[in-house]
Amino acid sequence: MKKIEARHIVAVLSSALLGLGATVALAHHSFAMFDSDHQVKVAGTVKHFQWTNPHVYIEMDGKNVKDEKAADQHYTIECASPGILTRIGWKFNMVKPGDTITVIIAPLRTGEPGGLLKQITLSDGRKFLNGGPAGKPNIE
Amino acid sequence: MMNHNTRRASARSFTVCALLAGLVVGSASWAADAPAPAAESAKPAARTPNPRTAMTGSWNRYPDIDEKPLPGFPPAAPIPAAPLKAQYKAEWEARRKEVADAEAAGKPLYSNYTACLPDGMPAMMMGMFPMEVLQTPGQVTIIQEAYNQVRRVYLGATLPSFEEAEPLFWGHSTGRWEGDTLVVETIGVKEDVRFRDVPHSNQMRISERLRLLSANMLEDEVTVTDPVYLEAPWKWRWLYQRKPGYRMLEYVCEENREYRDESGAARMRIGK
Repeated sequence: MKKIEARHIVAVLSSALLGLGATVALAHHSFAMFDSDHQVKVAGTVKHFQWTNPHVYIEMDGKNVKDEKAADQHYTIECASPGILTRIGWKFNMVKPGDTITVIIAPLRTGEPGGLLKQITLSDGRKFLNGGPAGKPNIE
Repeated sequence: MMNHNTRRASARSFTVCALLAGLVVGSASWAADAPAPAAESAKPAARTPNPRTAMTGSWNRYPDIDEKPLPGFPPAAPIPAAPLKAQYKAEWEARRKEVADAEAAGKPLYSNYTACLPDGMPAMMMGMFPMEVLQTPGQVTIIQEAYNQVRRVYLGATLPSFEEAEPLFWGHSTGRWEGDTLVVETIGVKEDVRFRDVPHSNQMRISERLRLLSANMLEDEVTVTDPVYLEAPWKWRWLYQRKPGYRMLEYVCEENREYRDESGAARMRIGK
C-alpha cells in the first residue's frame, strides 16, 4: 500500500509540475517568494494587526532570537486568509497592537524584513499554525 | 462517466492529489449552534435523497488536505492535461515551463490570483474554499467562498449563441434534470479567464453533470469542449462532501499587498 502511494505521489507531483498549476490552486498566490528552508524565529511587539482578505498581516518590531548580533527591526508577516485561519481556530481579535509575540517565519528571498508565518506564539503561550498551504515550521 | 470499478481502482492511487489541491478547512468556530456533523456523514444513503432539493447546503472539496478518503468514496483522479491541438500545445507547455522556472527561482509570476481576480469558470468549482448550493424554483445558485464568487444556473433557459454571449467570469449557464442528474451547460467565459493556463475561444462549452453519490457526497463531472483549441473533450471529476451547519464567510479583497514588479514577478509590499 505504501509503495503504491509513493509511486503515485511521484506521478501526481509530476503531472502537477507539468501543467496543473497546483501552486496557484493552493492559495491567493504562490509562496515561492518565501524561503521555507531557512526559517527564522522573531520575537517582539505587535504594531498592527490587519485582518483582511486576501491575507492577514502582522506588523511587528522584533529581532531574530537566534542571532546575538541582530538588532530590532520592523517585520511584515504574511498570514493566510481570514477564512483559512478561522477554520483552524484563529479569531479576528486574538492579536492586538502591543502584544508580545514570537513568530517563526519563512523569510522573503529578497532579504527584505518580512516573511510568511509558519507559527505564532501569543502572549499567553498559545501557539497557532498558518493553515495547510503555508506549511509547518521546521525550527523550534 | 466513470463507472464504480474505475473509481475504486483510482482510489488508492491518487490519495495525494488532495494534498496538492487541498486547503485546511475545519468547522466554523463561531457556528456553535450549528448541528454537529453526522458520524457517518458520507455513508451511502439507504434512500436516495431528492436531488432537486438535497443539493442545497454547504459543501467542501473532497478529500480535504490531510483527510483520509472515506470507505466507498475514492478521490477523483488528478485532472489530465488539456488535449490541446498541436499548434497550441507548444505555447502552453512553454508557458507552464516559464511558470515552473519562476517558481523554482523563487520569483513567482504575477497572475490573476495575485491580482485578486476571481477564478471564474470552471476553476471556481475546484472548491478552493467551502461552497454553497442553493436550489430555488427555476434556479440553482452556487457560491464559492473564495473571492465571493457566485454563479447562477437558470433551469430550462436558452443560452445565447456563442457570438451573442457577453464574455463573463462565470459565463452563462442553463440547467436541466436528466433523472437524478443536474446537467449544466455554460458558455461565454472571458477568454483571459483561463483554467490552468489553457487557452479557449468564445466557442468553449463547459458541460457539467452534478449528482448526489449519497446524501452527503456530491459529484461534478466536467467536460470542456472547444472546436478552436481542443482536439478532444477535456474531462475530469470533482467531489464535494457536505459540511453540515457551515456558514459561509465573506471574502473581499480589501487590501492586497501583492504587486507586480518590473520583472513581472509577484512581490509583497513591506510595512504598513
